[in-house]
This record gives sequence, structure tokens and C-alpha cells, in this order.
Amino acid sequence: MEIGPIFRALLRNRTGAILIAVQIAFTLTVVLNAAVMINEQVSKAGRPSGLNEADTFHMQSEAIDTINPQVTINNDLRAIRETPGVANALQMNTIPLSNGGWSTGVRVQQGDDPPVYSAAMYMVDDQAIDTMQLKLIAGENFAASDVVWRKPDESGWPGRVIITKALAKSLFPDDSPETTVGRAILLGESPANIIGIVDQLQAPWTQSSQIESSVMVPQQFQTGSPRYLIRAEPGQRDRLMPEIEAQLAERERGRMIRNLYSMDEVRRRSYNLETGLAMILGFVMVVLLLITGLGILGLASLSVRRRIKQIGIRRALGASTRDVLRYFLIENLLITSSGVVLGAIMAVAFNIALVNAMNFPKIEWYGVPLGMVVLVLLGQLAVWGPARQACGVSPATATRTV
Amino acid sequence: MLDMKGIARIYQTDLVRTHALRDLTLTVNEGDFTAVVGPSGSGKTTFLNIAGLLEDFDEGSYLLDGENVAGLNDRQRSKLRNEKIGFIFQGFNLIPDLNVFDNVDVPLRYRGFPAAERKRRIEEQLERFGLTGRIRHFPSQLSGGQQQRVAIARALAGDPRFLLADEPTGNLDSASASGVLDLLEGLHTSGTTIIMVTHDPALAARAPSSIHLQDGRVVGNDEAAA
Ligand SMILES: Nc1ncnc2c1ncn2[C@@H]1O[C@H](COP(=O)(O)OP(=O)(O)O)[C@@H](O)[C@H]1O
Ligand SMILES: [Mg+2]
Repeated sequence: MEIGPIFRALLRNRTGAILIAVQIAFTLTVVLNAAVMINEQVSKAGRPSGLNEADTFHMQSEAIDTINPQVTINNDLRAIRETPGVANALQMNTIPLSNGGWSTGVRVQQGDDPPVYSAAMYMVDDQAIDTMQLKLIAGENFAASDVVWRKPDESGWPGRVIITKALAKSLFPDDSPETTVGRAILLGESPANIIGIVDQLQAPWTQSSQIESSVMVPQQFQTGSPRYLIRAEPGQRDRLMPEIEAQLAERERGRMIRNLYSMDEVRRRSYNLETGLAMILGFVMVVLLLITGLGILGLASLSVRRRIKQIGIRRALGASTRDVLRYFLIENLLITSSGVVLGAIMAVAFNIALVNAMNFPKIEWYGVPLGMVVLVLLGQLAVWGPARQACGVSPATATRTV
Repeated sequence: MLDMKGIARIYQTDLVRTHALRDLTLTVNEGDFTAVVGPSGSGKTTFLNIAGLLEDFDEGSYLLDGENVAGLNDRQRSKLRNEKIGFIFQGFNLIPDLNVFDNVDVPLRYRGFPAAERKRRIEEQLERFGLTGRIRHFPSQLSGGQQQRVAIARALAGDPRFLLADEPTGNLDSASASGVLDLLEGLHTSGTTIIMVTHDPALAARAPSSIHLQDGRVVGNDEAAA
């Protein structure tokens, strides 16, 4: 309503206002790009692995000198599975999210020179789907009779495999999961048939771009250092972890139980770079917003103090306290809106440059208006105190001061 | 039309209690041109501030156009100031960040007049005071006399019932001062009600009636023959 004169008066004292508008623009640029980065890191650290992590933990038995690993492993698994509170357990060559494991190039059998996809290899038994609570979306599980021992020096792979939906889609883009079942593939140079498809089972490497490509083979790894993945009944995990550790150590003396971790802990460790980055960026964001808010507050209280007399004159000429409050809110709105308009352009330009230069996430369409609104609201919040102070200026100031 | 009875105003600071006005009773009628004279510190500005609703009083009653102003809230007081009272200050009190046009526009915007009406009134007043050529000038680019004329134009643009002037010539050289006085006399002749506060008896003598204040009390009352 009185934007014209407020704007013209602002132009007469533009230095501070321009500085604040530029600060707002930079803040918006950094905050928006930091926010998409944070969002990417947080969603990366939170993406599902395909297994029930909440109830699951793992441990590794390390023998100094194992006479018969097969007997040890079988005894261990039987004892663990029988322990009250354990839902199911499994020996695995590696643990999802643990950043270490085996991989093989997978390709289709027909055609010359088909593309090769890198996939994680999980050696598991017929209890894997139940233990990890994977979702079998097509085909069937391994039978107990499929499972064979794998010697440490053995190469090659078994002929019946279960693969993830993502790998199936890469290998057979035109097939549905149902029609992929039965297809022939090569694991390295070993021929194999797909007998089942699971919805998801991530590879252990959290930084991999092929993280959704995994193959399960019905093998038990004959090793003196077997890894066990154990799923507890809901709520039993924390009780079972030390209990099973003690139980294994007890039953076969002379071995160590190592790497006793819940899957929650495994996830935390493997994504601590992402969470750390998100926290640092979040901190930078908050500090920047705070500094900008304080800058707005500083400028506003300076301009209120500079204009005490003028406020008194306006009051004498008929401005109510509400009119005075509105004056400073509108003035602030003019400064912040020019800042956020500039900032929106800068943020998008900077984002485009980052996206082109590196693997940087794009700002979502709603991010820009959201960021603009947040900064405008921050401005209105920061100016509120000084504006209230301005309302306290008495109309008598018009005649009482020189 | 301005009717004060038993007005008292006490300033209380930590150390002192100042009776700026005591038991002031006064009536100003439509069309009057009244000077309020008295030495510095006698309570003239306090009186003007109370009359112009710029500050409250502690005792007594004040009817402005028949309306008891004691019970009004901030918005109602601001509206009354805006509609009924025009101020002329010693220091001109133009807003330095606004040009002449925008300065005269200030009370009209608070009044809520539409843009065309405001423009018409502003141009009419500026023309009347010979300021048409200065419409885009800022206060700092004007002489004291010109600034005071802009202030008078601003005070009159909303057609107030009263013109309240506090030492309107205090910051002017004698030629400009006399010019402003001529203006006020002209306004009086054309029917505007004026109350002018001054410490200068020579100026007060040019007003048809005057009230003498001393230590917050009325000590004399001149009614010049009209
Ligand atoms: N805000 C205030 N606080 C305390 N005392 C004040 C205040 N304003 C005015 N006074 C005192 O009230 C008395 C009258 O002041 P004022 O009305 O300004 O006199 P005048 O305008 O006649 O010079 C003076 O003694 C002055 O010091
Ligand atoms: Mg005075």
C-alpha cells in the first residue's frame, strides 16, 4: 500500500540494504545447494538394503587351528538356531553393508559379446531368504539338497542361483521377473540358471554404483573363520548378542568371537562419511542462516535508531503503531525479496555448474520457492524486534527532539 | 471546538517531578488564531503535544470537536491526529529520505485517500505555496523558508480542523519568519483555526488572541480587538 515511498526512501540509503540483500542471495545459494547435498547424503545413508536390519546382527568365529570346519560350522548353526529368541541364522561369506566381499562379472549366455554386469556373490544356504527376510518375487528358494560345501581353493560357481530384481532387469531388460526365471547366465565363465528373483539384496559396497546387483549361490564356505548372520525375534537382539557370543566361545574353546555387530551398527559405520558430511553441511546451513538473521536484525535496529525522529514525525502525522510496524516489515520484505530473487538465480546457476562439473544432485523444483520463503520469513522474524522497538517511539518525539 | 478543563501534566523522572502544566483551562473556537506565549520551559510544547494528541495528560478533561479524547486507543488517536490536526514544527520535520511530493503525501497515505485524490491535493497545496518547481527536491536541497512552506503544505493537505504550530519560525531568519507569519495570517483569514506556540512576544502580537503561560499555569489572557 505504501510500497512506492518506502522503496524510494530505501534507495536513498541503499548501501546497507544492498549488502544485506547480497548476503541473503549468497545464503540462499549455499543453503539450497547444501540442502540437496544433505538430502542426497541422508537418503543414501537411509536407503534400504533389502534385509530386516533391525533384528539382525552378525559375528565371526576365528579359530587358531580348526581340525574340521564343516563340523564346527554345522554345530554352531544348529546351536544358534535352537537358542530361544533366535528367529533364524545363516552362514555367509560376507555381510551386506560391510564394504567387503566377493564379486563376479555376470552376463547372459546368448549373443556375442553381451554386456557384463558386476555383481556381489553371496554364498548362502536355503535359510537365507528367511533369515534376511528377503522378498522372493518370482521362482523358488534353494532346496536343502542344493547346498554344497565350497573348498577354499575352489573356483567356479554352482548351477542354480537366485539374483536380485535389479540385476535381472539389467541382464534381461525385456523380461518380467517371472520370465527371467529359468534363464541361463554366466557367472564369470560358469554357466548357471536363474531359479529365483528377490526384490532386493544390496551388495556389500555402499559406494558402488552397482549396489543393487547381487547373486546368491547355494554354497557354504568351508573356512576356519565363518561369519554368521543371526536374526532375533523382535526385541531380542540386544539380549542375544552377548549370549550367543558367550555360547560359541564356550562350546569350542581356543577360538575368538570377533566382529560382533548389529546391522544397525554396520550401517552406521559404513555410512559415517555420508552422515558426517550431512551434519557438517547442516551446521554450515544453520550458521549461515543465523548470521544472515543477525545481519538483518543489525541493519534493522540501526535503521530504526537512525530514524527515531522520523518515526515520531510519522506518528504525529497520523501513523498508528500498526502503520509503523508495517513500514519496517514492508521495507524488510523489499530487501529480502530482492535478495531471494537474486539468490534463486545464483543458486540455480551454481547448481547447474555443479551438476555439470561433478556428480552433484539437482535442486528439486520446489526447493527454490521453499528456500525463498524460508529466507523471507527469516527476514520478517529478524526485523520483528527492531520494528516493535520502532512502535515504541512516542509521537511526542516529533516536538521533543531537535 | 477545543475544550480543555483543569489539564495537568506531570513528568516524573527518578530524581525530579516536573509540573509541566497545572490546572490549564482553555477553549479555542472555530476560526480562532491563538498564540500561546511564555518563556522557555513554561509548558508551551507540553500544551501543544496534549492538544495535538501527541502525549497524554494526567488530570483534567479534553474535548476535541466534542469528543472526549481520554478514552481513545492508539488507533483512534492516530486517526484523529491524521484527520483533524495539522502540525507545523520548529525544525520543519520533513522526512529527509523523501522528496517534497512524498513528504506532503505522508499524512494522505495514512488517511487512505486514493492515489488520484492524493496527487490532486498535493499539487494544489504545493501550487498554493509556490513550490511547484520543487516537487522532486529533497529537503536538504531547500532553504529553511521553503522547507517550512513544504511542512505547511503537508499540514494542510488533509484539510485539518486545526493547525498546531510549535515555534514555527524558530529556525528561520527574520525575512523567512515574517513570510511564514504572513502565510499563517492568510490561512487564518481564509478560516483555518490556528494555535501557535512561541516564546517571542513580537510574533505573538500578530495573533488576534494570546495566552500567557508561566511555570505551567495560565498567567494572562489577551483578547485583541478583532
Ligand atoms: N519528557 C520529559 N520529561 C521530563 N520533563 C520534561 C519532559 N518534557 C518536558 N519536560 C519539562 O517540562 C517543562 C515544560 O516543558 P515544555 O513544555 O517543553 O516547555 P516549553 O515548550 O515552554 O519550553 C520543562 O521544565 C521541561 O524541562
Ligand atoms: Mg517548546
